[in-house]
Amino acid sequence: MFTTRRGLLIGAAALAAAGCTEQAQITISDADLTAALRTARALAQGAEALGYSEIAADHRTHAETLERLLRPSSISEEKAEPPADAEALAAAETAGSAEAAASCMTTESDYAVLFGEIAASRAAHAAVIA
Amino acid sequence: MTATDTGLQAEYAAIFACGAAAVHLDGAPRDQAEALEAEHRSRRDALLDHYAAAGAEAPAPAAGYDVGAIADAAAAQELLTKVETDVTATWRAGVAAADPQERQRCLDMYAASAVALARWRRAIGQAAANPWPGRPA
Repeated sequence: MFTTRRGLLIGAAALAAAGCTEQAQITISDADLTAALRTARALAQGAEALGYSEIAADHRTHAETLERLLRPSSISEEKAEPPADAEALAAAETAGSAEAAASCMTTESDYAVLFGEIAASRAAHAAVIA
Repeated sequence: MTATDTGLQAEYAAIFACGAAAVHLDGAPRDQAEALEAEHRSRRDALLDHYAAAGAEAPAPAAGYDVGAIADAAAAQELLTKVETDVTATWRAGVAAADPQERQRCLDMYAASAVALARWRRAIGQAAANPWPGRPA
C-alpha cells in the first residue's frame, strides 16, 4: 500500500478524512537511504583524515539529510578504515558515486533526485582529488 | 519538450558562452574554459547521436545567445560560472524523469556537468566542493 513518503502522506490524509483519529506515523526503512548514509559517513571520515575538510563537510551534509529522512529509524555510526592516500580516497568517492547512481535508477521511493545529487557530488569530489 | 531537449539547448548555449568568454581569459582559467567548450561539444554530439539513433528530430541551436557584455576576465569568469551552474541545474532537473532511459541519460550528463563545474571553480580559485550541485538556492 503506502510504500513511498508521498504515499504515506496521502494515506495519512485519507485516514484523517475517513475519521480515523489515531496519529499517523511515517516510518521509512529504505535500504538505499541506509546504504547512502553509511557511505556518506565513511567518506566523511576518510576525507577528514586526509585533510579534505570541505569535501568532508559535503558528506556530513549528505549524512544529516539522510538521517533526517530515515527518522524515526537511526543508524549508528561506525568507525571506517581511513584511505591510504588521495588516490584511494578518489577511488572511494568514485565507488560511492556509482552506488548512489545505482540507487537513483532503481529506487522505488521519491528520492531519485536526491540520490542523483549525491552521485554527482561524489563524482565531482573524485575529479578534484585525482 | 523533454528533459533531453532542454539539456541539449543548455549545451548549445554553453558552447556559445565558452567561445565568447575564453578569449578574455589567461592561464588556468583559459585552459579550463577551452576544456569546457570541448566537453560541451562532446556532450552535444553524443546527444545528437541519440536523436539520430531514435529517428527523432533534435532541437536546433539558436542563431545566437545573449551573454551580455564581457568587459574583462572577471566578467568572463562570472559568465562561465553562471553557465556551468545553469547546465548542471538543467540536467539535475532531468533526473526526475520517469522514463528509465531518459533518467539514465540525464543522470550521466548531470554527473559530468557537476565534475566540469567543480573543475572550473577550482581553476578560478573558488571552492569546488558542493553537496548539491545545481540545486536551486
